[in-house]
Amino acid sequence: MMRLNALLLVALLASAMWLVRVAHDGRALFAALDRAQSEERLLDSEHERLKAEKQAQATPLRVEKAARDKLAMRTATPAVTQYVAWDRAASAAEGRTP
Amino acid sequence: MRAADALHQARQPAKAPKPSANVRSVRYSTSPLLASKTPPWRSKFLVALVGLSFCVLLGRAAYIQIVGSAFFLKQGEIRYARTLELPASRGRIVDRNGLILASSVPAPSIWAIPKDFEADKSQKARLARLLEMTPSELGARLDDNPNFVWLRRQADDAVAQQILALGVKGVHQVREYKRKYPEGEAAAHVVGFTNVEDKGQEGVELAFQKDLAGRDGTRRVIKDRLGRVVEDIGESVAPIDGRDIELTVDSKVQFFAYQRIRDAVAENKAKAGSVVVLDAQTGEVLAMANVPSYSPADRRNLSGAQLRNRAITDTFEPGSTMKPFIAGWALETGRVTPSTVIQTSPGRMTLTGSTISDSHPHGDLTVSEVIQKSSNVGAVRMAMTFQPREMWELYSAVGFGQKPQLGFPGAVTGRLRPWKTWRPIEQATMSYGYGLSASLFQIAHAYTVFAHDGELIPVSMTKNPNLPAGAPVSGVRVLSAKTAATVRDMLRLVTLPGGTAPKAQVVGYSVGGKSGTAYKQEGKGYAQKKYRAWFVGMAPIAQPRIIVAVMVDEPSNGKWFGGDVAAPVFSQVVQQTLRMMGVPPDLDVKPQIVTKDIPAEEESF
Repeated sequence: MMRLNALLLVALLASAMWLVRVAHDGRALFAALDRAQSEERLLDSEHERLKAEKQAQATPLRVEKAARDKLAMRTATPAVTQYVAWDRAASAAEGRTP
Repeated sequence: MRAADALHQARQPAKAPKPSANVRSVRYSTSPLLASKTPPWRSKFLVALVGLSFCVLLGRAAYIQIVGSAFFLKQGEIRYARTLELPASRGRIVDRNGLILASSVPAPSIWAIPKDFEADKSQKARLARLLEMTPSELGARLDDNPNFVWLRRQADDAVAQQILALGVKGVHQVREYKRKYPEGEAAAHVVGFTNVEDKGQEGVELAFQKDLAGRDGTRRVIKDRLGRVVEDIGESVAPIDGRDIELTVDSKVQFFAYQRIRDAVAENKAKAGSVVVLDAQTGEVLAMANVPSYSPADRRNLSGAQLRNRAITDTFEPGSTMKPFIAGWALETGRVTPSTVIQTSPGRMTLTGSTISDSHPHGDLTVSEVIQKSSNVGAVRMAMTFQPREMWELYSAVGFGQKPQLGFPGAVTGRLRPWKTWRPIEQATMSYGYGLSASLFQIAHAYTVFAHDGELIPVSMTKNPNLPAGAPVSGVRVLSAKTAATVRDMLRLVTLPGGTAPKAQVVGYSVGGKSGTAYKQEGKGYAQKKYRAWFVGMAPIAQPRIIVAVMVDEPSNGKWFGGDVAAPVFSQVVQQTLRMMGVPPDLDVKPQIVTKDIPAEEESF
């Protein structure tokens, strides 16, 4: 009887220690998850910022200036454009896509 | 006890020594001084006291555990549970091609607890420089309140990092968001802006505040000693992010329209100007630009004149741009045909004592020529055959005196008085656009009647997700398709030699439109030498894709006619917009091959 009790006591203590450990691990993992999630939010907002910044670098004003000054491009007018008609049926028959 | 002992020993020799064998221990009871006189109830009382205090403890425990348990549980929770705000991010505003017009970016705010503030001189100087303040300004700011001061709301991310790197004690940051407007002043009036609390103040930001804002979420958590979140408790409310608003505006067209009107305003030394570009097939607003504008990123020293979206908030008398409606209705009701001759000489007519005159006498004009040459007398002769009520119904059918259903803050109704109060002279002046008022946007909208085969189509500023892009819309029929086509032909004549606005012509595309010029109304009368010039037109004329309306306020550089000031802007905007929309030109153009002087490679021989 005495031996059984001792055995049970040991088992109880072991399970209690195990519980403590598992609870601690659970909390540590949860904290890590939470940190990862807040990092995700941070990266998301950073992504958003970079997209806006990229857009700011590609505004029509800048693009036009660069095209005009650096690349010596001019605005295309119908006077300097050759228009070709695209026949949908014909190109489909030839199996090409525009 | 020891004192008593000593006393006892001290007294011993004085008394007669007792024949006692026990010298080691003192028999207290024998001492009369030490003899216990304690009554028996006293010990019982003590025991009872101890018992009672145990009962009190038990009672207290029972109270805590059973009676007041809810209160104590709550108090405990306050000490370990925290409610975290989950901020919803504000929706973006994008143009019709998905380019960002407004977006939220993180912008940390810097704050300080002045009583904790500790910095040496060089730190202070650097901090002040990063905050864009002088050191004395910084000092004054810190003296404001010992517990909390904002040093800088919504600083740049990079600046905030540098401030954090300084490591000044008592300076903290809080994460906030601010709006970024990549298109800047070109789209400022359409997009609007938000205040420091992220609430819309103007434009689309204000009109769609509810959709853009979203709803913040919350979350209950348990935090440990180190401030780490270790457990979720209860249910969390997920944040609902704001909806993205997709506008019908094309940022390229918008930019180009803004650039052109800005240049025209500068060139003509004008006070202000506006451009509206509408898609004539779908009623979508492609651009709405105003000068003067402002940069939404730096809103210091703004004036109301800069903030106003003139295209929809400012009304003026639409003048000659009303004449095509009169001609259209006269054609529709079969009163005239395009070649009916109207007698306009000697260039003026008198109606109930008032005189209406043309800029110069024209003689006999056909209906087409009345529009082409913009003859007031011709328009009045046609309009006087209408009943006042008939004319009022025509004007209100094309949207005058009605607020445009645009869902945009500040859109005005304009003024169209009820027909019952019209006197004959008023009916006459209204036929050439005086005595009523409208915004530039209303005039552009009214012209959809001509551009969309006689139907007034509804306008929209935001994309309708239920409709496929470019789906044809139908509106309220005002004129027949045939009449609309006839009037379009007359509008084309305006831009041909002999019309009032040949400068509206566009390379490769046929255009049509109507110019307008008017004295500005000031107080009760008309100001001398203060004009307003505008032009409303469409292209390509056979099957219009776009309607462009241009207005220039107070041009004062020697030119003031709509055909001279506003028509060139119209021409440039149409040219660019149609090219960007990929509309094939409908006029034959003489190809211009331009060669550039490049030094030729020397031939070897």
